[in-house]
Amino acid sequence: MDNLWFQIPVAIVMGFMIWRMIPAAKHWLKNGPKGSSKEWLNVSMLIGAVVLFVAFLITTVRG
Amino acid sequence: MQTTSPVTRTADSILSTNRVLRNTYALLATTLLFSAVMAVVSMAMNPPRGMSLVCTLGAIGILMFVLPKFENSAKGIGIVFLGTGLLGFGLGPMLNAYASLPNGSSIIATAMGGTGVIFLALSAYVLTTKKSFDFMGGMLFVGLIVVFGAAIINIFAQIPALSMAVSGAIVLLMSGFILFDTGRIVNGGETNYIRATVSMFLNIFNLFTSLLHLLGIMGDE
Repeated sequence: MDNLWFQIPVAIVMGFMIWRMIPAAKHWLKNGPKGSSKEWLNVSMLIGAVVLFVAFLITTVRG
Repeated sequence: MQTTSPVTRTADSILSTNRVLRNTYALLATTLLFSAVMAVVSMAMNPPRGMSLVCTLGAIGILMFVLPKFENSAKGIGIVFLGTGLLGFGLGPMLNAYASLPNGSSIIATAMGGTGVIFLALSAYVLTTKKSFDFMGGMLFVGLIVVFGAAIINIFAQIPALSMAVSGAIVLLMSGFILFDTGRIVNGGETNYIRATVSMFLNIFNLFTSLLHLLGIMGDE
């Protein structure tokens, strides 16, 4: 993306999306349930599995 | 009355959840197919980059501003197709750029397959365990805001390592959002299938484009 005419509108839209996401973030931080350490461990394992899978895909593409 | 009412409500709630789930996956499957067809059409037409940008920004505008007004009516379905079709069309030039790489078609196919596997595996996990992932909401939204901030900086700074870090973070965040959104549907937190479809479509779309970007960078020796 080497053209300002492309960069500026994309940056504006992304900035606007951040602005729209702030209330949702505040809502979930304030009112969302707190996870137990077991629940976070469970999520960490699932995300860890995704990381390993993506690493596998990268090695596949590299041949 | 007091003994039967809660049972009836629970049964109704389960029926309603199953209906939302079925409608969401049916609409998601058709919108993904439609979006893929539009991407193929766009690849064949090879529109200029400006048109692709206009389509993507138009789709974001439609899904953010127009859809909320129609999400409770049948018109909402048409608007979902319009938005997802435009997103698919906007992908065309990017796919053509990747396809022109020496192992481009392999990268695109791997990114598609990888996206499908991640989505199906995470969805199957939530659907079978019926766990709620609402506790991830705050972390996911804050993470997305931070990543978007980094992406805005990188639009101008154009640091390859930051670009890769942003794509990697989006892959992880979208995986988290798949757990979060599916958990909300399964546990009755999301009752509107049009809204649920759009959330899930955007998770898959962002996961695919970020995975494609990662594989494009890492696949090149």
